[in-house]
Amino acid sequence: MKDFSVIKEVQPYLNEPKAMYVGAPGKRGVLKLGFELDAEGKSIMRDWFRNAPLIVQQELYFDEEMPEMPCVYILSSGGPNVDGDRYEQEFTVRKNAYAFISTGASTKIAEMIYNYSGMTQTFLLEENAYLEYLPEPLIPCHNSRFICDTTITLHPSATLFYSEVYMPGRTHYREGERFLYDIISVCTRAERPDGGALFREKFIVRPKLKSPERVGIMDNYDVFANVLVLTPKNHLEALFEKTKAFIDKEKGLAAGITRLPNGCGLLYKVLGKETEPVKKIIREFCSSVRMEVKGKSLPAEFPWR
Amino acid sequence: MEQASSVMRLLEFADSTFPVGTFSFSNALESAVVEGVVHDVDTLESFTKAVADQSSFTDGVASQIAYRAVLGEDYERLLAADRQVDMLKLNAESRLMLTRMGKKMAELSIHIFDNGMMNRWSKDIAEGNAPGTYPIAQAITFAACHITAFDLFCAQQYGVMNMVLSAALRCMKVSHFDTQRILFKLSSNVMDDFVVVSQMDFEEMNAFVPEVDILSSIHEKGKMRMFMS
Repeated sequence: MKDFSVIKEVQPYLNEPKAMYVGAPGKRGVLKLGFELDAEGKSIMRDWFRNAPLIVQQELYFDEEMPEMPCVYILSSGGPNVDGDRYEQEFTVRKNAYAFISTGASTKIAEMIYNYSGMTQTFLLEENAYLEYLPEPLIPCHNSRFICDTTITLHPSATLFYSEVYMPGRTHYREGERFLYDIISVCTRAERPDGGALFREKFIVRPKLKSPERVGIMDNYDVFANVLVLTPKNHLEALFEKTKAFIDKEKGLAAGITRLPNGCGLLYKVLGKETEPVKKIIREFCSSVRMEVKGKSLPAEFPWR
Repeated sequence: MEQASSVMRLLEFADSTFPVGTFSFSNALESAVVEGVVHDVDTLESFTKAVADQSSFTDGVASQIAYRAVLGEDYERLLAADRQVDMLKLNAESRLMLTRMGKKMAELSIHIFDNGMMNRWSKDIAEGNAPGTYPIAQAITFAACHITAFDLFCAQQYGVMNMVLSAALRCMKVSHFDTQRILFKLSSNVMDDFVVVSQMDFEEMNAFVPEVDILSSIHEKGKMRMFMS
């Protein structure tokens, strides 16, 4: 678990919560999932260490377009992330294995007074591994604080589809909650197994210090999605060419794609006024990536999602 | 005497006519105008502010670290700063802009004056050992010419704002009077930002300008272009 207390932007939020202390049982979720091929060549979830409030059930094979794909939903038994929660997620996809991971529902970040909610994620993808990680959106409520640190270690032959969707708050709660949270700080870095650094992205949004509702930042959009596709160079150009960059004022949707440093993959950004169109465009992009890498598309989303 | 000379150097290197190719780039303003995102003085000011902020907390931080590395003769730290700029610049056109301008400035500096650190860095760029980004070229040049760290930051902020505003004069309906007013207004908080930026380390470099990123991508994939970014 990363020590977030040394990070400058976290300094105002280091008071001990008056209820359950930081790291108390039930406030420190740990998930360590490992996927690999079994003796018959089937991709399975071999390791599944979990510590509440983070839980997962046995992998399911419900993807109709790729029935051999183990699919896992991460659930949080504690409801929203509350003051002083810490989460640690470790995902390993071993040689030639593949998997799909999502969350059962949106991650709500509850209102906070003393501390913050922190999450450390590590992704390790071995030779020719393939992982789709498409969690539901994150909803930061009034006065909430969320700090996330992600490290991706990826073999040059592996592919990772990694998406994050951020809401401005509970947009349909009372008069509507938009950018009333204290802070979202997200740092993501990727490297090769030999330690060679590929890229690093860090963004900090502190709406009370500087409004993101400005031209060039969020403008009139509410929903922001960040999608990383780390994949071998032979897939990269084809995906870049077939993915459109656009602004559709009527639909309130905008998207852009660019090549990441060191030829390691693509970065796809989406802005929208509503969640559904943003989620839809991310799934379409994921389908395009799956088709390019695995020769198969993504199935239609379940109607209840 | 040295102070007078360093002011002259500052004016020379911060001048928009200093031939590093600034005029070729718009920092995605061209797409912003075509898409109607920037359409008047207010939206131009907001867009310029977003681009300047992004530059402060990424390029500005690395440049300040590199400046101190030059003064401390810590070449490895300078190389690290160069790599951090490149690794954190996730937009391909922005990376191209910064490396083209960086190499040009290194070339020019070597032609103008002799400096061991610049010679070594330039050799590493040529051999593919360093990306050769503009903020690092500025740091070496300014430190070598005894221009202060604060002046370096001001020159960078002025350069970024002026790049966008000069491009605006060529691609949208706006007057010189308005662009100068925007420049004057946005320059007011430079000292506050400098105090923060000069205390930041690599891990703290950050940027959040998703709409600018999308506009850059539209420019990168588009066919119609007056500018290179």
